[in-house]
Amino acid sequence: MEKQTTTHSFIVPIGPQHPALKEPSHFRIAVDGEIVTGASVRLGYAHRGIEKATESRTWIQNLYLLERICGICSHIHGMAYCLAVERLAQVDVPARAQAIRVLFAELERIHSHLLWLGVAAHEAGFDTLFMYSWRDRETVMDILEQLSGNRVNYSANVLGGVKFDVDQLCIESILTGIDFLEERTQYYLKVVSTDALFLQRTRGIGTMSRRQAEVLGTVGPTARASGVDRDIRIEAPYAAYNQFPIQLTLDDKGDLEARVLVRLRELFESYRVIRQILSDLPPGDLTVRMPRRIQQGETVLRVEAPRGELFYFVRSNGSDMPERIKVRTPTICNLLSVVKLAVGHQLADVPMILVGIDPCFSCNDRTVIVDRANETSRQWSWKELRQYGSTYYQQRAT
Amino acid sequence: MGTDGRLRQLNLETMKTWARINSPWVLHFNSGSCNGCDIEILATLTPRYDLERFGVKLQGSPRHADILLATGAVSRQARDRLLRIYEQMHTPKFVVAIGACALTGGVFQGCYNVLGGIDKLLPVDAFIPGCPPRPEAIIDGVVKLLTNIQAPKSEQAHSKTSAHGALYDE
Amino acid sequence: MNDTEKTLKTASQLLEQWLWKTEVERPEPNRLDVRLKTIDDLIPIVAGLRVLRLGYLTAITGLDPGLENPDLEVLYHFCVGEAVITLRLNIPRVNGCLPSLCEIIPSAEVFERELQEMFGIRIDGLRNPSRLYLPDDWPEDVFPLRKDHDPDKLKSYLTLREL
Repeated sequence: MEKQTTTHSFIVPIGPQHPALKEPSHFRIAVDGEIVTGASVRLGYAHRGIEKATESRTWIQNLYLLERICGICSHIHGMAYCLAVERLAQVDVPARAQAIRVLFAELERIHSHLLWLGVAAHEAGFDTLFMYSWRDRETVMDILEQLSGNRVNYSANVLGGVKFDVDQLCIESILTGIDFLEERTQYYLKVVSTDALFLQRTRGIGTMSRRQAEVLGTVGPTARASGVDRDIRIEAPYAAYNQFPIQLTLDDKGDLEARVLVRLRELFESYRVIRQILSDLPPGDLTVRMPRRIQQGETVLRVEAPRGELFYFVRSNGSDMPERIKVRTPTICNLLSVVKLAVGHQLADVPMILVGIDPCFSCNDRTVIVDRANETSRQWSWKELRQYGSTYYQQRAT
Repeated sequence: MGTDGRLRQLNLETMKTWARINSPWVLHFNSGSCNGCDIEILATLTPRYDLERFGVKLQGSPRHADILLATGAVSRQARDRLLRIYEQMHTPKFVVAIGACALTGGVFQGCYNVLGGIDKLLPVDAFIPGCPPRPEAIIDGVVKLLTNIQAPKSEQAHSKTSAHGALYDE
Repeated sequence: MNDTEKTLKTASQLLEQWLWKTEVERPEPNRLDVRLKTIDDLIPIVAGLRVLRLGYLTAITGLDPGLENPDLEVLYHFCVGEAVITLRLNIPRVNGCLPSLCEIIPSAEVFERELQEMFGIRIDGLRNPSRLYLPDDWPEDVFPLRKDHDPDKLKSYLTLREL
């Protein structure tokens, strides 16, 4: 490869992201001509100090705080917290409530993966797919609204159970919606596997071997796309996943295309499990009484959020406020893989590599180009970087 | 100034206002939110809600924007960028605070690293409550703002506040 | 014996070699807590866990057990299947120092950077020791997750200044 004469150092600030406390504020990417030679990560953009705040709120107040760590996976955070506290309090939650929690969790996974598909398409310059997938996502938003009254932040969990029941009307509309979405997902699978431009941005890009994925500590669909069989719903079932088990979705190619395929294929598992839950919903109560003070103790709880393994450590000192709650969200585990994978790739591939780990969406940020040779700096927006990637590949195609 | 001149000036003002109302360019900025409000803003661009049919265009650059849609409880890191973005916008400019966090800090009130509300930093013209507000509520809020812009008198009042970029003490 | 039991039994046996320096507890059926008496044991035990593939590093938790305790606590969580093996270390509140696990486990970097800035525990050997979540201009001596954190120290920091 021809050595370029000027060296640019990009500081790529990436905007809104989730998860808890953490929002990738920017990546520092060193570029030699077109090729990325180094990258490092700096977060903090949406650091709100939630872990500290939990220490001065009661157990019930914390539920509402922790649900708002992330708008896209708010239910799974609430569920993980409730499961952890219920374990500390040694309380048995009714089977119906656990099943409804899993129902909401899978519906959330569907909404999250469809959202991601749209964002990935948008990053690849494929806006039609973005519009279609977000339009179809409205179906699952409608279902969630019918169940809970809100499109985002459904707040279905309470300490000791769930707030909302599922009646016959809901069941019918969920089943209709799932049928529609399953058909649409088949269509999307076809599109992402056959559209030439999309494949150019995903096939063979950002490849991570199984060994690399394990060493870098990746979790969730990002890891499963590289053949790592890590899925908390299967290896450490929680809530109602024992009664309604999930089958593993794996791919071994480890490139961006594999990450897209794994997420889409996982949707079929979610559709299947939802149908199963609705046909075998256990009868019973929705909640069980919980004490106001939670007895002293510690527990570790792991759940499978749409983006990967979510880790909660909860410690109680016997009072009505927690002593310590530690939340380790999945994206933080996958960020290192982006940093390592970007090296050796074209700059044009950076947006897609980042979106491949599903870090939510990015909008409204800046890229600062510092030209070492001339000691000047310019500003780009993330939109311009994305545009750069699209143009680069369009030119390559012609 | 003669009647002709005043008529010309009035026509120009009306045209500018008409253009601003009929095709406002908005800039979205997340100052440290959970993204709930942001995905509902993005949803307003998708086929079901389709904000673009109102002529609203989502812009990337502050220099081209009329309206700033701000979400989030304003984290320390976001604060300086939010101010800078506001400074870069041309007058008259309007700020819409979207979501409970942007209004008062929401559930994050009192957290270290959180300022607690856009209006602690910038003059806000419209507040849209919700956690998150539905896309319909966002559209409603933006339309209400546009209706208020319509009268030139209120527009001048806004220009005054915006030009100074009033700051608030803690 | 199911997989979880097997894993925890293997881990227990591994740690028996260090038992004269460690205490082992089973606080929950799927958890093994190992209390390390000296920081020097950390790297060998982590290397041992990795070699025997006894879990991957899931998280590092910093803990302040309360001002009546002279030490902070650091927990390293290793998970395999349902089993969770937690290594627990006591670190002095002042001038606390830990070796970095980055040589063995690259993904430890982000967890260690967070621990450093939130609790003020110095991590030796970090390739990139800069702040992770807190802003660059955050006051040097303020560690938010400690129990002795004084919110008043941040009042002037957060106050708006004139443009």
